[in-house]
Amino acid sequence: MIEVLGVTKTYGKKDNAFKALCDVSFTMPSGASVAILGKSGSGKSTLMHVMSGLDRPETGKVIIDGKNIFTLKQKDIDKFRSRTMSFIFQSFFVQANESCYDNVSLPLEIADVSKSRRKSKIETALKAVELFDKKKSRARDLSGGQKQRLAVARAIVNNPQILFADEPTGNLDSVTGGVIENLLFDYNRKNKVTLVLVTHDPDLAARCDVQIHIKDGVIDSIKGNN
Amino acid sequence: MKIQDIVIRAGRSLKQAKARTILTSLAIAVGAFTITLSLAAGAGGRSYTDQIVSSNTDSKELVVAVQPPKSQQGPQKYSGATSSSVFSTALGSTEVLTQTDINRIQKVTNVVSVSPNYNPQIKYITRLGQDKYIVSISTFSASVTLKYASGSTSGDLADNEIILTEDYIKALGFSSNQASIGQTVDIVADKLSAPISAPESQTFTYTIKAVSSASGLAFRAQSSLLVSNSSAKKLYDYINLGTRGYDHFAIASVMVNNANNAQSVKDKLTNMGYRAQTAADILGVVNTFINVLQGILLGFGALAILTSVFGIINTQYISVLERTQQIGLMKALGMRRRDVGRLFKLEAAWIGFLGGAIGSGLALIVGTVANPFISKALDIGDIRLLIFNPISMVIVVVGLIIVSVSAGILPARKAAKLNPIEALRTE
Repeated sequence: MIEVLGVTKTYGKKDNAFKALCDVSFTMPSGASVAILGKSGSGKSTLMHVMSGLDRPETGKVIIDGKNIFTLKQKDIDKFRSRTMSFIFQSFFVQANESCYDNVSLPLEIADVSKSRRKSKIETALKAVELFDKKKSRARDLSGGQKQRLAVARAIVNNPQILFADEPTGNLDSVTGGVIENLLFDYNRKNKVTLVLVTHDPDLAARCDVQIHIKDGVIDSIKGNN
Repeated sequence: MKIQDIVIRAGRSLKQAKARTILTSLAIAVGAFTITLSLAAGAGGRSYTDQIVSSNTDSKELVVAVQPPKSQQGPQKYSGATSSSVFSTALGSTEVLTQTDINRIQKVTNVVSVSPNYNPQIKYITRLGQDKYIVSISTFSASVTLKYASGSTSGDLADNEIILTEDYIKALGFSSNQASIGQTVDIVADKLSAPISAPESQTFTYTIKAVSSASGLAFRAQSSLLVSNSSAKKLYDYINLGTRGYDHFAIASVMVNNANNAQSVKDKLTNMGYRAQTAADILGVVNTFINVLQGILLGFGALAILTSVFGIINTQYISVLERTQQIGLMKALGMRRRDVGRLFKLEAAWIGFLGGAIGSGLALIVGTVANPFISKALDIGDIRLLIFNPISMVIVVVGLIIVSVSAGILPARKAAKLNPIEALRTE
């Protein structure tokens, strides 16, 4: 379970201060798929950063499995993130010069997974996104859809508990976008992994269990499908 | 993140910027090249002088002269006592050793023998039916290593035996070195005390015992012919007896009973007012000269490395800028600041390693190829003037890695401090 309690985040100082998040609170159950909806500049990305411990809010708590992550030292937040969370970004952020295999290997290396145990994990993840035959290809030789599939493989390789996806289909056409969507929702359902989707696309959000609308740093509405 | 994985990732990112990596490490390679060569030249030079000194001197031998008066400014005052024992050299006048001095030195404990340096100024050397040649005669010492082209000596030379150099064998018309052994040569000397109106000279006949060949190590063998000490004294006596300079010597060589006693005898002689030099002293003087030269070369190498340090800093800053996104991603995936910093420091380490390996490797190749040419140009036979010590090469490479890592600290800090959110916003 992820609890967000009274989170306020301000960017800039004094006259230029800009409240990206203002006293935001909500709860999401483990294993759910949650969409954070909002226009650009509404604070939805900031919310994702705060929930993942990438950014520290001025006030408020983010409680994951009963632990407020902001009581931890930055070092320990990083460690926590490497073991329990992963990310998918709109512009993929795959390393163009590295092979698919090395791209997927990165989170395992960061999480100190021993070399002997990496291979099977990487191969499983590449098979899950149907890129196993490309494991030695460089990421720059892949198409956009393949790059995002590679990013999905990188995100699921270390069996995260929470998967953050920031506009995962924003740079893809509807067909390849649909493939990515299906991959994410299948993974969410099969492995009971919490999926947090940041998007401005209402159709994509509608596929999630919970939709959190955010507007000007404040929660507008929270809707559940069930 | 494990160090091994960081090392591999660092190496991989360098491979992706090959041209830049190689250019940056070439700057270091210049420094490594200079330093490796200067170390090799220093080691070679020291070993060369060491060989020269040990093959031309004996560690049991001291070279003794009279101590020049200290803080002497301008010409020395005349006094009756000194007048007869002043010896003029190109460098000025120095006091000389007389028979009294030699007797005094002889009495010092641990001294086995004292022999003045007879340097008979003979007129010429010749052989029946051949031309006359000017030559210089030196005293043979069994402790000095000679390179023989033909013949050999066992122990000391007997009287009337002589060691010739190859040049004279040819000049005196022998068909080969081998053919000259056992043959005789004539040395003609003038009696200096004889009146000009009635010059007097004598011919001394010597049997050729051996022929010495030019060696890169020998001082004496190249130009001087060698006779035994008593033969030299005989010549000296004939030439100089009755002159004012007779029995006055610039230097004498003192043999001590044991090499370990050389220093204590030297101290005693110094107290008695003589200037004594051991083999180690002579080596020390030459080595100081080599060390100064080596220091200058090392300084140039260090300067090149200092320049390359700025190259590394610059390259690594650019690398951090270029890979902002990658750094952001790694931090988002939970990579610790320390590991991000390490990644960039290790990249710098790789550059340092490459530069060091390229530079010292090139130095090794160039040195190995050039060694025979240098030896030939300096006419020192088969002696190698550049000696590459594997340990010092390893130290050079390791040192350069350390220097490069220090140069990488600032860019690595910048990378470690990068805010992942800002970094991931870069499109």
